[in-house]
Amino acid sequence: MDSSQSEYVTLVSCDGFEFILPRSTACVSGTIRRMLHPSSKFSEGISGRCVLDDMTGVVLEKVCEYFCYNEKHKDQANVPDMDIPPELCLELLMAADYLDT
Amino acid sequence: MAMRARHKIRAPRRGGTSAAKPESFDAIWSVLSSSLTEINTKNASTLAFEELYRHAYKIALMMRGEELHDKVKELEQQWLQNNVQKLITGSISSILVRTHNSLDAPDQSNERREAGEKFLAALKDAWEDHQLCMGMVTDVLMYMDRMVLASHTKPSIYVVCMALFRDHILRSSVRPGSELKVIEMLESTILFMIQLERSGHMIERPLIRHCIQMMEGLYETITEEESTKLYLTIFEPAFLDTSKDFYQAEGRRLLEIGDAATFCRMAIQRIVEEQERCQYTLAITTQPKILDLLDEHLIRTNIAEVVNLEGTGVRHMLDHNHLDALRDIYSLNARVDPKKEALAKAVNKRIVEMGKDINALSKQFPPTPAPSAKKDEKSDRKEKATDKQRPVNQQTESAIRWVDEILALKRKFDDVWEKAFLSDQGLESSIMGSFSDFINMNPRSSEFLSLFFDENLKKGIKGKTESEVDALLDNGITLLRYIKDKDLFETYYKKHLSRRLLMKRAASMDAERQMISKMKMEVGNQFTQRIEAMFKDMTISEDLSANYKDHVSKTGDPDQKPVDLEVNVLTSNMWPMDIMASTKEGTVQLPCIYPKEISSLIHSFERFYLGKHNGRKLSWQASMGTGDIRATFKRPNGKVQRYELNVSTYAMVILMLFNDTPDGEPLTYQEIQMRTQIPDHDLIRNLQSLAVAPKTRVLKKDPMSKNVQPADRFFFNHEFHSPFVKVRIGVVSGGANKVENTDQRKDTEQKMSEERGGTIEAAIVRIMKQRKNLMHQQLMTEVISQLNSRFVPDVHMIKRRIESLIDREYLERISEEPPTYGYIA
Repeated sequence: MDSSQSEYVTLVSCDGFEFILPRSTACVSGTIRRMLHPSSKFSEGISGRCVLDDMTGVVLEKVCEYFCYNEKHKDQANVPDMDIPPELCLELLMAADYLDT
Repeated sequence: MAMRARHKIRAPRRGGTSAAKPESFDAIWSVLSSSLTEINTKNASTLAFEELYRHAYKIALMMRGEELHDKVKELEQQWLQNNVQKLITGSISSILVRTHNSLDAPDQSNERREAGEKFLAALKDAWEDHQLCMGMVTDVLMYMDRMVLASHTKPSIYVVCMALFRDHILRSSVRPGSELKVIEMLESTILFMIQLERSGHMIERPLIRHCIQMMEGLYETITEEESTKLYLTIFEPAFLDTSKDFYQAEGRRLLEIGDAATFCRMAIQRIVEEQERCQYTLAITTQPKILDLLDEHLIRTNIAEVVNLEGTGVRHMLDHNHLDALRDIYSLNARVDPKKEALAKAVNKRIVEMGKDINALSKQFPPTPAPSAKKDEKSDRKEKATDKQRPVNQQTESAIRWVDEILALKRKFDDVWEKAFLSDQGLESSIMGSFSDFINMNPRSSEFLSLFFDENLKKGIKGKTESEVDALLDNGITLLRYIKDKDLFETYYKKHLSRRLLMKRAASMDAERQMISKMKMEVGNQFTQRIEAMFKDMTISEDLSANYKDHVSKTGDPDQKPVDLEVNVLTSNMWPMDIMASTKEGTVQLPCIYPKEISSLIHSFERFYLGKHNGRKLSWQASMGTGDIRATFKRPNGKVQRYELNVSTYAMVILMLFNDTPDGEPLTYQEIQMRTQIPDHDLIRNLQSLAVAPKTRVLKKDPMSKNVQPADRFFFNHEFHSPFVKVRIGVVSGGANKVENTDQRKDTEQKMSEERGGTIEAAIVRIMKQRKNLMHQQLMTEVISQLNSRFVPDVHMIKRRIESLIDREYLERISEEPPTYGYIA
């Protein structure tokens, strides 16, 4: 199976939650983009499945929400703020740094 | 904020198992280093990007990113030195090392080429692998890279690794202990390949292109400035250098072949080749440089020689109409010189040469009967008039041929200019300049051109469509543009025009008017003013004749047989009077004695005209008129034959003398001369046309010879016979416009110079009146520029005119140094 062609990718959290996103949406993150880059010969690039060992399902869910939010409001001005629960914001900050988003 | 205060911010949790056990730097590095080696050996698919990334992330979080950076650099350096370098040096076969310094060794070229290709391919593969692996390494270490870059202490790991490739692969020795470096090998190999291609072999272009791209991707310094690309610092100069040598030799070689067309074709092909090479083999940025070099060494240094190549140069191309070759040479010349001087010079030279040939031909042709003509000049005028007739006609013909040939030449060069020189503006003016040069070299160009118009307006345009006539006139006008002495042309044109108008020889008045409007557009209003006045006189005269006829029929003239009169009253200063009054200086011309019918008519008209316009003086120009007479010939068998004769006024006067002469009685030349007072010159010609010309022999002459002598006797010829009732008897060499003989030319020139003197004086006074004071040099330039559209004034003449104006106190000398004049009001 040629995963580089497939339209969807799977993101897996450390506690086993799987999120399936369109490839372009996930590639908002610089890290994921590099991970999945077609010319990259890493296992992620081949299988289309990224295990993010540093993130819990809760955080990754929010991250994926952000990816979709970003994709939805791409190229728009005056978009509504995304709802971020304060208790998650530090972890999200770190995730953003890690994912180069 | 109230909302936020309610929620607690949770401390970030370390997720997963890794969070549980804190790892040491060394432990992580050992994992990373083994993974990086895996990447180098292309086994990355077993590795998880995320894992490597996380490791690098952790190290960066430990604030030991720079340490990691150094370690990675070391690892890659080891890798390159231990593995890749061997691969490369191994691919360099000994033949490459041996032939390194020679550019062409034909005997070994095939082997060398194969070895070179092998070497290039190895290098290309190594480079591509390195690029790919370093890309992956950089991706994995991205987090570290971001940290390191943010602290500005080290360049990105990618840049560092590229520099490693440069230092440890390209700059390594080809053989252990050898001075020769891989990059030098690369350079000489590529140059060798290019050399092969230049001499017509096929080479592996994409391979070279890859190696070039490698050099483009590597820089001299870590800061990676554009100008320090290895391609620019090392390869390009070497390439340009060898190309220079090659094209210098190529230029010499092509010149030795000695064929200009081949040279141009080859040069253009070389240009295309180099363009292609830059596009597909080298870098596009080199294109302007190599083309400059080509322009300089192949074209600029050789173009002049090519243009002038004996037998095949521009001259040959022009003569044989090789438009393609001319176009090639034009485009080459245009590359190196926006003025295209070399080409322009050669073209101009050829035009002037061809023009001179035409000029010479127009002079050569007539004097075929030269010896007799020379003799004639010494003998009396009568002989001259008859004998010169033929050559003069031939001269006229050759004048018209001169114009035709120039027009043909012009058409040819227009064609060349349009098709080969791409309608280049600079060349157009230089071609025009050379036409003007040789046309003005012929002192009789104005006269010839006017004759050309005369011929065409008389006969040439019959049966032609309007557009054809238009084109014909336009052609003539183009030549007029070249003529510098436009006033001289005006004089001739007026002279020829007046003959056409008065003798009703103009084929179409429309064409005449068209011609004038064309001249007006070309030369200006002032130029055609007088010519237009001539036309006005003609129309007024038509009305006048009609009015007079009216007047005569009303008043009931006492004359029983009224003679129809058609007059042209001409304003004397508008018309070239000199051609009508054939007086010579010093002799007072008595007016012709007209028969009484005619003289009463003249008086009657004069009364009529002066009654209308007071204070004018009419002088009758018999030499320009014609008359219709009905003549009765008594045949020996008693029958009577009538003919209507259309003759010149003088001939009419002569014939009417025979009315008063008893039948069969002769009149001698002297008698005729005495009774008519017709000037000798005209009388001889008229008698010739009446008594000598075979078809119109109304008079018999005794003795029967061509020349008219004072003692000759003339009889009325009752045996005159003609198939037509109406007979037109032209005056020998009178009516037609033709080339002037030497005397007439002198006359015209003298008149011209007098007229020019007046024009110059007028211009001087005009300028001085405006400026009050002016320096000599300035005055000269202004006068010349004012008169340039009409003629090229002679500097000495201007000086003389200034002197004469000072003498007559129009001007005064204000100062001597510099010479300055003032205007005296």
